[in-house]
Amino acid sequence: MSFEPKILGIACNWCTYTGADLAGTTRLQYPQNIRVVRVMCSSRINPSFIFRAFQLGADGVLVGGCHPGDCHYNTGNLYARRRLAVTKKILEFAGMEPGRFRVEWISASEGNRFAEVVREFTEQIRDLGPQTQFKISQ
Amino acid sequence: MAISFEQIEQNLKTEARKLLESGKVSLVLAYGRGYDENHPMPYVAKHPSDVDNIVFNEYCTANLARYLTRYPRRTKIAIAAKAADSRAVVQLIQEDKVCREDLVVLGIPVYGMKNFKTGEAIDSKTTGGLSNPVLYDILLGEEVHGQPVSSPYDVLAAYEAMDKEERWAFWQRELGRCIRCYACRKACPMCYCDPCFIDQNKPKWGEKSPESPGNLMYHLTRFHHLAGRCIDCGECSRACPVDIPLYLFHKKVAKDCEEMFGQAAGMSIGDKPVLVNFRVDDSDKILE
Ligand code: FES
Repeated sequence: MSFEPKILGIACNWCTYTGADLAGTTRLQYPQNIRVVRVMCSSRINPSFIFRAFQLGADGVLVGGCHPGDCHYNTGNLYARRRLAVTKKILEFAGMEPGRFRVEWISASEGNRFAEVVREFTEQIRDLGPQTQFKISQ
Repeated sequence: MAISFEQIEQNLKTEARKLLESGKVSLVLAYGRGYDENHPMPYVAKHPSDVDNIVFNEYCTANLARYLTRYPRRTKIAIAAKAADSRAVVQLIQEDKVCREDLVVLGIPVYGMKNFKTGEAIDSKTTGGLSNPVLYDILLGEEVHGQPVSSPYDVLAAYEAMDKEERWAFWQRELGRCIRCYACRKACPMCYCDPCFIDQNKPKWGEKSPESPGNLMYHLTRFHHLAGRCIDCGECSRACPVDIPLYLFHKKVAKDCEEMFGQAAGMSIGDKPVLVNFRVDDSDKILE
């Protein structure tokens, strides 16, 4: 059986999630490998969500938020940017492939871009293969 | 040669006695005798008569800033702080865990502290390598000058050069040995959360048995929680009963934070910890 990546998407309610909605309502096709979890803001994302997702078997994690400056709560994503940058460095120093975790700013009107990013990311993860390092064997 | 350990001990006693007698502080955080000379322990002097029990020698490595957050706010505390410890004090002030006005910092310039486990000198390999405290009210001795300064991040080069599989194997090996005694978190001046995320049951963030997956979750998250806050005293690694080089990861994260945000932890009271701060012009490059 061919490998189907399991991707966790964490999307902020106001931009990326709405963007995903738009992609849906305009009937854009994008891979179903992504499971989107909605949070109110990208700064809601606890870095442990990401570590935990990898442990529970995600092959990739995609975080989506409003463009810097557009956050519904004004500054949320500016904090998130710093925080997630650190998360990335930590994953990298622990020895994970850098490509498995990605942060994208996608606004509510960028349905197209959402579909595109998901497509691209899914392909990237497909190339990297299953994520086994962090995964807890059950 | 700068001042000797005996002199520092004498000065420490004198100042502690003065502060306690005048009632300026209600307790002095210092070191006392452990089961032998080489194992001094943190000691809290509450009465002028306790002062005689205070010791100071090259094995007094414990970071006493650890104990600051245990006392209710407004407790007047004097603390013996070496270079790294003073950074911890600064960091705690930045985080509003203690008030500057409640503290009397007895700064101790040091060079040549020793690891009580191995007897080896502690230098910039496992710590920030500073010799003078960054903040003090009273300096017990003279500032040390002319000590060779080497970057605390030099040790990282070998690990950064590894490829990711190697690094992964290295950390698996090291963190796999963790017995989850949580000595690292107990020794750390910045680990004051109650309860710690790993002790929470709902949500359960990670496995609690001493096995690799849970260990990884605990340590990676701990490294993350200390990002931009770790002041590189190296106490976690010295407290570790199985000698995991935790300092390496902390140094790496500190280095990244310094590179990305241009500020080291605990250097000045006016700073804001980097992760509770932002600049509008932070570049998106850091996410790549
Ligand atoms: S609301 Fe979208 S990132 Fe804050």
